[in-house]
Amino acid sequence: MYAMISAIKVIRSEDTAPYGNIALERVLTRHAEEGECVLFLWQNRNTVVIGRNQNAWEECRVKRFRENQGFLARRLSGGGAVYHDLGNLNFSFLARKADFDPARQSEVILRAVRKLGVPAERTGRNDLEAEDRKFSGNAFYEERGRCCHHGTLMMHVDLDRMEEALTVPRAKLASRGVSSVRARVVNLREYCPALTREILEERLTEAFAEVYGLRAEMLDRSRLDEEEIRREAAFLASEEWILGRRIPFSAALERRFPWGGVRLELSVKDGRVAEAACWSDAMDAEMIRKIGEALAGCIWDGDVLAEHVLRAAGTEESEDRGRMALEIARMIREETDGLGEGGETHGAEENAAV
Amino acid sequence: MNFPRELKYTKTHEWVRFTDEETAYIGITDYAQDQLGDLVFVNLPAEGDALTAGESFADVESVKAVSDVNSPVTGTVEKVNEELADAPEKMNEAPYDAWFVLAGGITGTEDLMDAEAYEAFVAEEG
Repeated sequence: MYAMISAIKVIRSEDTAPYGNIALERVLTRHAEEGECVLFLWQNRNTVVIGRNQNAWEECRVKRFRENQGFLARRLSGGGAVYHDLGNLNFSFLARKADFDPARQSEVILRAVRKLGVPAERTGRNDLEAEDRKFSGNAFYEERGRCCHHGTLMMHVDLDRMEEALTVPRAKLASRGVSSVRARVVNLREYCPALTREILEERLTEAFAEVYGLRAEMLDRSRLDEEEIRREAAFLASEEWILGRRIPFSAALERRFPWGGVRLELSVKDGRVAEAACWSDAMDAEMIRKIGEALAGCIWDGDVLAEHVLRAAGTEESEDRGRMALEIARMIREETDGLGEGGETHGAEENAAV
Repeated sequence: MNFPRELKYTKTHEWVRFTDEETAYIGITDYAQDQLGDLVFVNLPAEGDALTAGESFADVESVKAVSDVNSPVTGTVEKVNEELADAPEKMNEAPYDAWFVLAGGITGTEDLMDAEAYEAFVAEEG
């Protein structure tokens, strides 16, 4: 049985930075009116959005991605990490719990893309696929009796950049956070080469009206409190929300060098190394101890960690130690979030060479 | 569906087990876990946090959605079940053993139902 919806509203955002968009979505959710279903359409440029309970460092090369003008955002719903660019359109359905109907809302999306010639189906986990390839990942949250159902619609996402953005370094990270599930994906332009945001939005608005049997009106943004949206955006853009969330994790970095093996085990809490241990069958005991001590208390940043190793290793005392420390520092940069070589970092290696 | 007699229930599907007048364990009901599906994460409050009846004090993520968990009582968090954070599936397996917090210094509660009333409420909602 369908809920009694008496008004359907559409709102779109021209902003392409994620924080204002996710803030607007939350405020729209919070103020959904009785008997109303809102469809919000929005895009983010060069953004990785992680699930509410994910560890940012397990999903994305945080530092490198940001150096390349990427936005890292954490959404309010659960699930895995996704990449957004302007080849992706996001939809959000917002309603009070009694008016909320995920199956009916998904029907709107399916109907819209089928109009464009896409053989679209809904899968068990609420994702939408065409010929077993996913073009829309969906997620949900409920807050104070208001519900949000949102998802991506891949039109012409840059798949190479997506792959790069969601590829994480080699260090083995482990936490109680939620893991991402990899899926085969497809862009809708494969079925409809002329597809643009405008065309897709038109079809969605038509399908929305057809599925609900109502005329879709534009939502008047002046009914919202802009100050509330700004406050929400500031919270969503804060490092505390994006990186913090107090999801502790452990990291293991290991490499076999011509001169012997090294293994580092770190536990990270609130973005800092709480404990560090170093094992090696080649280094002397003093150096092993010094490296462990140097890493404890560091912020979780490959370049900073590498620099601490170089400083601690006592490179001025022995040439061997200096060489080992350089190689360990390189391993840390390559396997964590460090910018690594290629001329992007200047600090650590040059300092060490002095 | 299981509705233990010794518990009290809220309309938002939390259970409360009073150990004395001012102290109680809080969790989510069998019906709640069944509706949510497989639970994969729980955000718990910290010891000493204030609890307000009817307001969110924790949230859970299932394979379907993220949802608030409301406090049935006004009081303070005396103990947190950290084991639950490591094993969120306990909420599915044994919802009435999977307590979130032990609330102390309770000064007020939401409108609570006994098992019979809650069972009728769930039957109506379902």
